Amino acid sequence: MDQVLVNGAILAASYALIALGITIIFSIMNVLNFAHGQMFMLGGLTVYWVMTELELPFAVGLIAATVAVGAIGMFFEVFFFRRVIRSATREENTMLLAVGTALLLENIALSLFGEKHRGIPPVISGVHRLGDAFIPSNRLLVFVVSIALIALVLIVVNYTKTGRAMRALAQDRTATLLMGVDAHRISMIGFGLGAALAGVAGALLISVSGINAGIGNAISTKAFVMIMIGGAGVVSGALLGAVALGFIEAIGYAFIPGSVTYLLIFTGLILFLLIRPQGIMGKPWG
Amino acid sequence: MVTTSRRAMLKGTGAIAIAGALGAPALVRAQDKTLRIGHLGVMSGPEASWGLVNKYSALATAEMYNKRGGVEIDGDRYRVEIVSVDDRNDPRLTVSGAERLMGEEGLRYVIGPNTDTTATSVRPIAEKNNAIYIPYAFDKALYSPPAENAILGMIASYQTARAMYRIFYDQRDVRRVAYIARNDSDGLYQRDEGVKVAKKVGFEIVAQDIYEPTITDFFPVVANIVSLEPDVIIMSAVAPAHCPQIMRAAREMGYTGLFSAESAQDIKIINEIAGEYGNGLVSIGGASTPEIRSEYMDEFIEHYIGVAGEWNDEAGTKAYALEIILATLQKTGAAGIDDISLYKAAIPEFSMKNPFLKEDATVTYVGMDDFGQLRQIGVPMVLTETKDGEFTTLAIAGVAS
Amino acid sequence: MAAANDAVVNTLGNANRAGIARFLVVFLPLAFILIIAVPFLFADRPYWLNVFTTASVLSFASLGVWVTFSIGRVNIAQGAFALIGGYVVGMLTTVVGLSFWVSLPLAGATAALVGFLIGWPLLRLKGIYFAMVTLSLTEAVRLAFLNSASIGGPPSITSIPNPPGIGSPIAFYLFAAGLLLVGYAAVWRLQASRLGGVFRSMRQNEELAASIGIDIARYRVIAFTICCFLGGIAGGVFASLQQNVFPQSYTAADSISFMLYCFLGGLEFVLGPIVGTFTLVIAFELLRAIQEYQALLYGVLMIIVILFLPNGILSLAAMVGKVFGGRK
Repeated sequence: MDQVLVNGAILAASYALIALGITIIFSIMNVLNFAHGQMFMLGGLTVYWVMTELELPFAVGLIAATVAVGAIGMFFEVFFFRRVIRSATREENTMLLAVGTALLLENIALSLFGEKHRGIPPVISGVHRLGDAFIPSNRLLVFVVSIALIALVLIVVNYTKTGRAMRALAQDRTATLLMGVDAHRISMIGFGLGAALAGVAGALLISVSGINAGIGNAISTKAFVMIMIGGAGVVSGALLGAVALGFIEAIGYAFIPGSVTYLLIFTGLILFLLIRPQGIMGKPWG
Repeated sequence: MVTTSRRAMLKGTGAIAIAGALGAPALVRAQDKTLRIGHLGVMSGPEASWGLVNKYSALATAEMYNKRGGVEIDGDRYRVEIVSVDDRNDPRLTVSGAERLMGEEGLRYVIGPNTDTTATSVRPIAEKNNAIYIPYAFDKALYSPPAENAILGMIASYQTARAMYRIFYDQRDVRRVAYIARNDSDGLYQRDEGVKVAKKVGFEIVAQDIYEPTITDFFPVVANIVSLEPDVIIMSAVAPAHCPQIMRAAREMGYTGLFSAESAQDIKIINEIAGEYGNGLVSIGGASTPEIRSEYMDEFIEHYIGVAGEWNDEAGTKAYALEIILATLQKTGAAGIDDISLYKAAIPEFSMKNPFLKEDATVTYVGMDDFGQLRQIGVPMVLTETKDGEFTTLAIAGVAS
Repeated sequence: MAAANDAVVNTLGNANRAGIARFLVVFLPLAFILIIAVPFLFADRPYWLNVFTTASVLSFASLGVWVTFSIGRVNIAQGAFALIGGYVVGMLTTVVGLSFWVSLPLAGATAALVGFLIGWPLLRLKGIYFAMVTLSLTEAVRLAFLNSASIGGPPSITSIPNPPGIGSPIAFYLFAAGLLLVGYAAVWRLQASRLGGVFRSMRQNEELAASIGIDIARYRVIAFTICCFLGGIAGGVFASLQQNVFPQSYTAADSISFMLYCFLGGLEFVLGPIVGTFTLVIAFELLRAIQEYQALLYGVLMIIVILFLPNGILSLAAMVGKVFGGRK
C-alpha cells in the first residue's frame, strides 16, 4: 500500500504540470489546447536532443525545453489563434485550429526526431526506501522539481502584475479590456506559459519513461480527463484533477485484476459528470 | 487580397500532386528494366517505428542490389524500386493503400502491413488483385487455408515461446512466470497463445497483467507483478518503447529475475532508458548480433544507417522480406514478376543460403506446423540476451517446417 | 380574413417551392457527380473507386456529427457509434447468420438506442465539457469491446461477408454513394423542417429556447440519436466493406476526424460535412505521391484552410453566392 501511495503522489505531481498548463490556456483564451500532448512530447524530445547531440547536462535541457516550447506556444497564439478568434463566427473554430496544430507538431517531430522512442538514463541513480515503498532517486527528483514549478506558477499567477491581468482576463474579458490591459500581450504570455508547462512536464518525464513522436494524443486525453474531474479553467481544479487521476491510476493498477482501470476511469468520469457537470471546482453554469 | 493568391497556391500544389499521383509511373520506364516492390505499413503515430523499419530495410536492400547493377532475373538486370505507402494503422487507409499498390500500380508483391487489424483488411484486396503480401502480424487465419496470399515475414510469438520457454525451463530453472501484455487485440492474442505454451511446458503462471499502450509510467503497473516474485516477466507484444521502461521499473523495485519479449527489441532504446537495469532480457533478434553476422549483414547495416540515419535492431528480422522475394523471383524467372501463381508454385522447393549469417544456413519457407501450408519466411530464430548494453546470442533455433 | 389566409398559404407554398428549388440546386449536381461522373471517369480504377467509397461512407457518418453541431454541440463520439454498428453487423452476419440487409438497419438502431440512453443525461453538458466527455466516450466504448473478450465477448470479428449482391468495387461505390445521397436528402429535409428551426434556435440560445416553451432536453436527444443512427449505419457498412472489425478500428483520432470534416467543409451548410470529408480524404490520397512529407503537408494544408477560410471551404461558395443573391 505504501508503494501505491508513493506511485500516486509521483504521478499526480507530473500530471499537475500538464493540467495546469492546459487550464491556464483555457481560462485566458477559452481555447481547449488539443496540441497540449504534442507540446509535452516536444519538450521531452528537446531534452533528448540537448543531451545526446549537444552533450549538455539535463538542467540545460530542461531550460531549453521550457523556452523552446513556450516560444512555440507564443508563436501559435500570435500568428494562428489570434487571427482565428478574431475572424471566426463560432468559438469551436479554435478547437479545430488546435487539432490542426497538434497534427502539425506531431509530423514535425516525426521528421526531425524520427519514429523511435527516445529516452535518457536516470539523471541520478539509486533507490530510496520509504516504509515498504521504493522511490528511485530520479523519480524523487521529478517529484521535487514538479512541486517547485507548481509553486512557482501559483506565485506568478497570484502575486505578479501579469498574473493578476491573466486572472482578470479569465474572469471578465470586457471589463479587463476597459481597464486598459493589453489583452494581446497577456494572451501571448498566457499561451506561452501554458505551453512551457507542457514542455517542462515532457522534459521531466523523458527521464522516467522516455517519449516518442506519437505520444501526444494520449497525453492530451489525460489532460482532458483531469480538467473534467477538477473543473475547466480553474487552477485549483486542475491540481485536484491531477491528484485524483494520479491516485486512481496507481490504485487501479494495483488492485483491479485484468487492468480495466482505464475503462473504469472513463465510465466513472462520465457518471461523475452527470452528477456534477462542472467538475469538482468548476463554476456552475447553464 | 491575400486569400486569392493563397488559393491559387493551393490549387497549384493540388495540381502538382494530382500530376504526381496520376503520372508518376510513366517517368521511370525510360531506363532499363525496373522491378517495383510495394511496401505498406504504419509510418506515423505511436506505432510508426514498425512500418518505418520495414520500409528502411527494403530501401537498404534495394540500394545494395542497385549498387551492383540490379537484380538478375532470366539474364536481365532489374533496378529494384520500393513504392511505399503509409496506412497510419487505420484499416480504412490500409484498404485504399493496398488498392493503390496492388490495383492502381499493379504491384504483385507488397511488404507489410504490421498489425492484425490492418493485415486482415488487406486480405480481400490481395485476393482480388492476385498479389502476395508479407504481413508482420500473427493472426493464424491470414496464413492458413483457404487464405494463401499472405506470407508471415517473421517468427510468430507462439513459435518463439516454444523455443524460449524450453530454454528457461531446462537451463535457467524458471518455474514461476508472470505475464504483462499490451492492452490491444495483438497483445491479448499473443499473451493467450503464450499462456497455452507455458502450461504445456509446466510453468506456474502467477500473474496476467495488462497495460494501456498510452501509458506514461510503468511503476504502478509493475509493482503488483514484482511483489509476486516470478522467475521471469514475459512481455507480450511489447513495443520497443515500452520494454525498457518495464525493465527499469521492475529493477528499481528490486526485481532480480529474467525478462522476456517475443518480439524484436532495440538495444539503443534499452540502453537509453534502462541503462544499468537493461540486463537479463531474453528476446528474439535477427542476424544482427556481432558474433554471428556475415559481412553482407554489416553492409546491410551500413546501408540501413544511410537510409534511416541510425541502426535499429528490429531491422535484423525485417531484413529478410525483400531478399526472399527477389530470390524467389530469380527461381520463377521473369514470368513470376506479374504472375503470383508461379511464385506460389516455387515456394515448396525454394531454398537459399542465408546471406546474413556467418555460418552455412539456409532460408526456406516454413509454416506447415502452425498454418498447414508453407506461408512463413523461415527467418532463423536467434534468441538473444542483453548483457552490459549488448545483445548476446543465447541460442539459434528455427521454425521446424 | 380569407384573403389573409390565402396570402399565408401562398407565401407558405412559395417558401416551400423556393426551399425545394434551393435543395435541388445542390442535390442534382451532387447526385450527378456521385452517380454519373465518378463511375464514368473511374469505372476501371478500383483504387479511386475505393477512395470515393470510403469518402462517401465517412461523409455519411459526418452528416450525423453535423446534426449535433446544429444544436450547438461539438461531438467527438461518432467513432464509438461506428464501432457499435460495426460489431452489430459483424456479429449478426457471422454468428447469427442474418443477411447484411437485415443487419445494417439493426446496426443503426442499436447505435441509436445506445445514443439515446447515453445522450439523455450527457447532453446536459455544454461546450468543451461535452466535447471532452464524448472523446472519453469513444475511448470507453473501445476499451469496453477490448475487455469484453475476457468475459467471452467478441474481441474482434474477421471474415465478415460482403453484402449479398454487391461484389465489385463499382457496385460497392454506387451503394455507398446512394446511401450518402439518401442521407444528404434526409438531413437537408430535417434542417429545413420545423425541427431544424428548433435546433438552430437551441444553438443560438438554449435558455431562450427553453423560455418560449421548447422542451430542449427532448430535442437535444432527438438530434443526438439521429447522429448515432448515421454513425452506426456507417460503421456497419465499413465492417462489411473491410470484412473485419476490431476494437481499434475506430479510435479517438477517428472521432476527431469526423468532427474536422464538418468544420472544414463548413458548419453553415448541410453539404459541409460531405465537402470536408471528400476534400480531406482525397487530399490525403493525392499527397501520397510525396511520401515523407505527406502527413506534414496534410497538417500544413489544414492550418492554412483554417486560417484563411475560418468558416469552412463552403464559405468560399457563400462569398460567391452573395454576389448572385444566394442565401447565407
